[in-house]
Amino acid sequence: MHASNHFTALSALCVGALLALPAQAETGKLLLTGGVSTITGAAGGGITPWAVIGTQASEGEVGMSAFATRVGTLDYALKSYGAAVAIHDRVEVSVARQDLDAGPAVALNGIAPFGIEPNPHLKMDIIGVKVKLLGDAILDAHNLMPQIAVGVEHKRLQPGSLGSVMDFLGVNRTGTDLYVSATKLLLDKGLLLSGTLRYTKANQNGLLGFGSAAPGSDSYSLQPEISVAYLLRRDLAIGAEYRFKPNNLQSLGFAAGLGDALREDDWKDVFIAWAPSKNLSLTLAYVDLGRIVPGVAPRRQTGYYLSAQAGF
Amino acid sequence: MRTLLTALGLAAAFASALALTPASAQTAAAPAVASTTPPPVGNGADNAGMIRPAPEGLYQALGEKAGIARLMDDLVARAVVDPRIGPIFKDTKQQALKDSLTLQVCVLTGGPCVYEGDNMKAAHADFAITKGDFNRLVELLQFAMDAQNIPFTQQNRLLALLAPMHGDVITRR
Repeated sequence: MHASNHFTALSALCVGALLALPAQAETGKLLLTGGVSTITGAAGGGITPWAVIGTQASEGEVGMSAFATRVGTLDYALKSYGAAVAIHDRVEVSVARQDLDAGPAVALNGIAPFGIEPNPHLKMDIIGVKVKLLGDAILDAHNLMPQIAVGVEHKRLQPGSLGSVMDFLGVNRTGTDLYVSATKLLLDKGLLLSGTLRYTKANQNGLLGFGSAAPGSDSYSLQPEISVAYLLRRDLAIGAEYRFKPNNLQSLGFAAGLGDALREDDWKDVFIAWAPSKNLSLTLAYVDLGRIVPGVAPRRQTGYYLSAQAGF
Repeated sequence: MRTLLTALGLAAAFASALALTPASAQTAAAPAVASTTPPPVGNGADNAGMIRPAPEGLYQALGEKAGIARLMDDLVARAVVDPRIGPIFKDTKQQALKDSLTLQVCVLTGGPCVYEGDNMKAAHADFAITKGDFNRLVELLQFAMDAQNIPFTQQNRLLALLAPMHGDVITRR
């Protein structure tokens, strides 16, 4: 409840500031060079953050952005929405809420009396801070030096009636990811490369809690994430992302006699992003989120990703 | 695979963090360019801001000197009336600027010109120019290149020659 109030207050602050902005938007960046909003709110690709500081604001400016994303896979659906503030192209603060429609999880009632109610949703609040350390991803076209940023994402899971499952798994309901990103636009080729190293113990990005009750699986691990994007036009980019994931829960499921029921796979996508104006971008992607609790949903969760971001 | 990528990522992060100070970043070796014209001596290339040899074919793609002159005409015309950066040019002699830019871009793209103007730092030292202003000029150049039907891939090759000047042109960080 306490965390929810903080999140609500931060969101209200963002919305209030967005409404209070003067009519002249901060537009000091070239199109698409602030990235889009990831599903956790940080600026970057769709599923992994980049070293760029988001919004359209440049040095000496303060910018804001808001996003809404919908992901639909074969058995699950995820909504994510949030906002970010960027200060002087140096610091980015973001908030986001994720809401996973976890319908297939009701089948877990058949394994044990978890008491999962119909139409269960897993909600998660994320607060992120990213700081650019050095470099310029766009303008340092004369060398290979990337822009480098470090970030932190603090996540709080509200599992609703799936709380009993979280207790059974022995997972924490809050967790913090740390990451370092390096991003470079090879300007003469119109090719953007980004790599991120994430220090995390989040299961399915945190939607299945953090860590695990299984001995040896409760620790943090380093997970690499890669994005590649190619500019077709000033306002149009295509790309692909790959995000390695920890697999903390698989051994727990195995020990409980459930085989691979809790196995977690890497995430990947191919996307196209279009910025019809400085203040709006739209991203469409085909995602493959791998298996998400294959014990109740055995198929690889492939599907669509659709996102809109408004920036000032 | 994951371990290898993690190790590579860590190595790259450490190398980046330790290897380059701002000063040495400016002189770090440029990556090998597929085909280049070696810069002739005595044509003011240093003052023009030349950091690496011109990529082959760019001078022709821009329409050679006449095409570059048309481009710079268009760019300056857009810049002086722009709500954001127009005020920076209020005391500028526009024709002189167009001529100077034409010679500069001609030299940078490997054309047979001589640039006799100031270096970038001296030329911009008296103005208040932010990064947002710099990016706006880049954008106006993109619009001018669109108007001249210069292909997007060639546009980016020109921008890659000009973008590194941000260190000398931006005076308000």
